[in-house]
Amino acid sequence: MGKAEFLSELRRRLFGLPEGEVAERLGFYSEMIDDRMEEGLSEEEAVAAIGSMQEIYLDIVDDIPLSAIVRERIKPYRRMSPWGIVATVLSSPIWLSLLVALLAVVVSLYAAAWSVVVSLLAVTLSLAVACLGGVLGGLVLLFIVAPKGAMLLGAALVSGSFSVPFFHLSRLLLKLLWRLTLAFPRWLKTVCIFRRIL
Amino acid sequence: MDAQLKRGLLDACVLAAIKDEDSYGYKIIKDMKPYLEMSESTLYTVLKRLELAAMLTVYTVEHGGRLRKYYRITPAGRRRIEEFKREWCEIRSIANFILKEDTDHGKS
Repeated sequence: MGKAEFLSELRRRLFGLPEGEVAERLGFYSEMIDDRMEEGLSEEEAVAAIGSMQEIYLDIVDDIPLSAIVRERIKPYRRMSPWGIVATVLSSPIWLSLLVALLAVVVSLYAAAWSVVVSLLAVTLSLAVACLGGVLGGLVLLFIVAPKGAMLLGAALVSGSFSVPFFHLSRLLLKLLWRLTLAFPRWLKTVCIFRRIL
Repeated sequence: MDAQLKRGLLDACVLAAIKDEDSYGYKIIKDMKPYLEMSESTLYTVLKRLELAAMLTVYTVEHGGRLRKYYRITPAGRRRIEEFKREWCEIRSIANFILKEDTDHGKS
């Protein structure tokens, strides 16, 4: 990839970020490439030395606060014509309620995911408690009514063995959900950057 | 590494790289290379943060028909380095304690 190609690709990816910020960053990378070429590297090598495009892109996205991206994203609407503003306000009962509904769906899906995890954890816990109680009770009962004691002991062990896969499943889901929660801000930023084109 | 700790280290590194003479992006990366591999995007972030904190100033110089940005350390930047040196003594004694714990566990 040549220098011009690299810079224009980066500019295309950063479309929607604050303009001054993008120009300054592009200038920075451009200077880096020039300095490397001055030292004897070919243009291609100098560009390659900067690192992968995707990494640079994600670094920049992580670096710019969400509020700045959103502010930039909202800017075009401030340049709306008076009629546009009137239309937006008049249609607000429609888009506002749709927006609220969408938000409600997202929040409830998220809450549902958490409740699945919580209920799985509860199942695990109750199986484990049943196992513990069964083993203790079974051991005591073994000395009073041996067959019943053995049965209770067996049932407790079955319940205990069931708790193991449930434990792993709930742990897996918990981890997954946690990772999703952590990845959400970055995802939101990239969405904001791309949707700007619309 | 802990993000806060890493940030402090990187800030001090870049300040140290410009403390003796004004420098530019690529030279800073080259000067730090034997000690620390820093990516361009990380350097940009650190320089920007230091500029906002008034620990360095930026000026542009024409070089070979193009512009190059130079970074100059301010008195506040120098104070930050001194501060870092003091903090480092603290960190070192903490690190010694942590490492000592580690070898003790290894023995037992």
